[in-house]
Parts: sequence; C-alpha cells; structure tokens
Amino acid sequence: MSESWFIEELERRGVSRRDFLGFCGVMTSVLALPRSAGAQIAEAIETKEKPTLVWLEFQDCAGNTESFLRASRPTVADIVLDTISVDYHETIMAAAGHQAEAALAGVVEGKPGAYIAVVEGSIPTGENGAYCTIGGRSAQDIAREVCGGAAATIAIGTCAAFGGLPAAAPNPTGALSVADAVPGVKNLINLPACPANVENLVGVIVYYLTFNRFPKADRYKRPLFAYGKSIHDNCERRAHFDAGQYVEKWGDEGHRTGYCLYKMGCKGPVSYQNCPNIRWNEGTNWPIGCGHPCIGCAEPDFWDKMTPFYSHLPSFPGFGLHANVDRVGVWATAGVAAAFAAHGFVQLGKRWMYAKADESAAAKGAKAATEKKGEES
Amino acid sequence: MKITPRPTPSKEICLANVYVWEWPVRITHWLNAMAIWVLSVTGLYMGHPFLVAPGEASEHFIMGWAKLIHFYAAIVFTLSVLTRIVWMFTGNKYSSWDKFIPFRRIRSKGLWPTIKYYLFAMRLPPGFVGHNPLAGATYALLFVAFLVQICTGLAMYAASASVDSPVRFMAALLPLFGGLATAHLVHHVIMWFIWMFFVHHVYSAILMSQVEPTATLESIFSGHKFVPREDLIFSGYRFIDRETHKGG
Repeated sequence: MSESWFIEELERRGVSRRDFLGFCGVMTSVLALPRSAGAQIAEAIETKEKPTLVWLEFQDCAGNTESFLRASRPTVADIVLDTISVDYHETIMAAAGHQAEAALAGVVEGKPGAYIAVVEGSIPTGENGAYCTIGGRSAQDIAREVCGGAAATIAIGTCAAFGGLPAAAPNPTGALSVADAVPGVKNLINLPACPANVENLVGVIVYYLTFNRFPKADRYKRPLFAYGKSIHDNCERRAHFDAGQYVEKWGDEGHRTGYCLYKMGCKGPVSYQNCPNIRWNEGTNWPIGCGHPCIGCAEPDFWDKMTPFYSHLPSFPGFGLHANVDRVGVWATAGVAAAFAAHGFVQLGKRWMYAKADESAAAKGAKAATEKKGEES
Repeated sequence: MKITPRPTPSKEICLANVYVWEWPVRITHWLNAMAIWVLSVTGLYMGHPFLVAPGEASEHFIMGWAKLIHFYAAIVFTLSVLTRIVWMFTGNKYSSWDKFIPFRRIRSKGLWPTIKYYLFAMRLPPGFVGHNPLAGATYALLFVAFLVQICTGLAMYAASASVDSPVRFMAALLPLFGGLATAHLVHHVIMWFIWMFFVHHVYSAILMSQVEPTATLESIFSGHKFVPREDLIFSGYRFIDRETHKGG
C-alpha cells in the first residue's frame, strides 16, 4: 500500500486531506496523546503497511460487527478500517464453508505472528465446547490456535472481554472470556461494552499502527484512554447529581428537564467508558443523553452485578430480585432492637423476682432469729 | 431455673477506683460514635436522595455536600480506628488486643457464664474489670466490620480518585469485594451490621450499669470504674466460681 494509494482512496471517496488531518487530530485527543503525535499518526496511516486482521465470532449476537460496519457517510475511520486487510470475517466475507476456513488457515499458517486476531463473543467450554463449533472444531480450539499465533488479540465486546451475557449465571455453556479460555494469550486488549464503540476500536488500531503496541490498559486490560474515567465523572447530567436533582419516575418533570438518572438505577458511577465524550453513532447521542440510565455494559459480569438495571444497588442476596439492602437492613435492625427490648422486659421481671426472693429470705431469716431469741429466753 | 437468694452487694462491698479507659480509648470511642452517625446520615442520603432541589442546578450542592462531609468524616473515622488499633498494643491492659480475642484460659472460661447471664441463667455477670470476654469478642467482630467498611469505602473512592490521590492504590482491592457495584452493596450491609451493634451496645451498657456497681456508663466519660475489691484481686472467674459454687 503506497502513500499515493491512500491519498487517491481519500479523494475517490470525497474526503479531503484536511478531513484526514482532522481525523488524526481527533484520534490524538481520543487517545490522550500529546499534540505532536498527530503528525506521527498521519504518517503511520499513510505509509505503514496495514496489518492483516481476522475476526472470529463465537457466542455472540454480531452486535460488535454491526458497530464495526456502521452504515453512514464515509469517514476517514471507515477508510482506515477498510484498508486493514480483513482476511476472515464470517458475517461479511463472500466465501463460505471450506473456502472461508481455508482463508483463515491461510492467514494463521501463512503469516504467523504477523496478524491481529479480533474475537467477538464468549467461548463456551461446557460439553467439550460442543455449544459452539465452526467447521467441526470447537470455539476454544480455534481461539487457541488463532490467538496463539497472532501478533496481538483484540477481545471486542463484553462477551469476548469478560464472558458477557452467555457467561451470566447460571452460565449453561461454561462460557469464558478470551483471557480465561486462552490462558497466556499475548498482547491482549479488551474492548468491552455491548457493543463496543467503533471509535475506540479505530483508536486502538490507529495506536497500534503508529506505535506497534497497544495503549496503556487498566487491570481489566481495557485501554485507559477509553475506560480510564467513570461515566459519572464525565456525565453531562453530573451537575444535577451534585445539586440533588433526580428523576423520580419515568416521564416526570425531572425526566423531561434532563435531571440525573441516579435514582432510576443509573450505573454511571460504577461504570468506566468514554461514552459521554465520544457518544455513539458518530456523536449523535448516547443512552443517558436520551434519558435512559447507564446499565454498566462495559463492566465485568454486568449482567449479574449491575442488575436490577433500574435500581442503583444490586439486590440483597436471598431476599428476591428486588430486595433493597437498606430495607432489609432497617427491618433487621428493628428486629434486633425488638429482641433487646424483650430482653429488657424479661430482665426487669427477673429483678423483681430476685427482689421478692431476697425479701422473703430476709423475712425468714428475721423470723428464725426471733424464734431463736424466743427459745433462748 | 433455680433462683439462688443473694444479698444485694452494693452496701457491703468495698469499691476500688480503677483507671480503666485511658484518654485515647475514650477519644477514639467518641470520635467513632460521632463519625458513624455522620457517615450513616450522609451515606443514607447518598443511597436514597430524598431531597430534590428546585430550580437551577448551579444554585444547589446538596449531594455534593453530602459526599464531601461523608469523605471528611471517613478520614476522621479511619484515623480514629487506626489509632485505637495502635493503642491495642501500646495502651494499658484493659485496652490490649488480647481482651478482644478470648484465647487466654481466664477469658475463654468467662465467655459461657456471660452468655448464661444474658440468657437469664445467672443472676449477675462475671465481674471482669474491663471488657467482659463476650463483649471483647463482639468488639473484635466490630473492628473487622470497621476495617471492611474502611477498605470498601477507600476502594470505591479510589476507583474515581484523581491520578495524584494518595489512596488510588486502594482500588486494587475491588476484585476482593466482587467489583465496584458489589462493593457498594457490602458497604451498605456493613453499615446495618454496625447499627445492629449500636442497638446492642447501648442496651448492654445501660444494663450493665444497672446490675453492676462499677459505673460502667460513666466510665466512658471519666475513664474510671469502681470495682469490687474481690474482682480486682481474683479477676473475672472468681466471681463465676462463687456463683456456681464450683472450683476452678
């Protein structure tokens, strides 16, 4: 891929060089890099050989593929993604069956250690992986071979990154994340969210093109540029949270005014992603922006730990789905108080009994003393 | 249950003035108590923000204040609890760590009679000068709850703290509590546990100051207890022996 090819491609699609440099500038800021990195990014995109990419789909809904293929006006990001040589992607490739599998084998065997593996969906391990097989091989088997030989692996979407919905309790298929199903996989980066935001995928790929490594990640292997701040801390409704202005029920005055969705179960305070900044569908809007609380889709085990979605705390275990921990706590404390009050009454009764017993003993003692005196005299 | 008549002790017993609770014990006790109140009230507001401010957001800062007060009270509470833990190793024998874990024979032997006293099977509690062994064990649990509360609180704070915050490393504890959302749940559960303890604590303090002549309730203000001399000489279990008329 020569420089002229890329410039020609931009022109052919009606994207000016100004737009291209604008894109590089945006990427620089999305990735939180110094301004000088913009030129480096532009040079890397124009001149560097684009990596080969294979896209594996396992237990998924193809939501991340949808995100990847988002259909709208052509942007520089699309062209960058298009120029990546996607040699295998079941949903979008023309080939099928043996021909498709041959394309995958061609990359894995022909370019060992030189391609990027993108994994979408969780990997089932129950029943020896029988829940998801492609061409007669289990998902885990394929993932081990493909990710094992890749220069780097991107686990896209919450299912691939953390197991997601298939791994939610009771996890009937024994679904695992890529990190757990392919232990020791090198250069893994997780891009969770349901689905992952394509801007972050582009950001990671651009970063990789420019610097030949992945950006700095958090303890869940999520790139810090995209998952370093809580949704709450960047939220446009944060002022309403601090002021104490909350939506009390759907469609009320506060909801129409755009108050904070905290009381409606918003998981923004416990979720980390850059949704408030880059938004979705090319910056059109995002869930909280259109009045729905965050459900924390980019967090590990979100289907188990962020539910009920419309209550801001998880339910108290053992007391049903909607058991609020504070309601249980109030009743338990009241129960303890009642028990001690009862103890107090019994205690008072006992003291009265002891006093009576002492009295009669004293009376008996006095009587005995008097009798003794009488006998003596 | 057989009720054994006994003369009321107050008049005959000669009381000794003992300095039991040193000033760090008393100060940390009251700092903890006040911090728990402040933390609970602000925490309950943070969990259930019932006040909804009218008008412009820029005119109010209700939740902001609740959080700010909660965080500063948390600093006071943390330092107070840590001070008390240090004092378990530097203070007098009544505040020592071994009064919280009943592993010594005299302490473990005192556990059962104290439980029996609470179940009305004994007329008087065994006369320990400081904490009785049952109370000590309860406080040990309480301190564990305090530490869990401090750790979950700091971990939740650290998760969103600025890069240069000194407590940012505490976010590494989050997987231990099942993640950020579950850490919130744990924080609430422990708060209610502490309130159940509070109910017990106030009740038992009043009860003990009623049945013992030692000025238990007053001692957490003054530091002094007035102890029957026989308790001071023979410590707790002589009292048990006398009660059950068994040797040991």
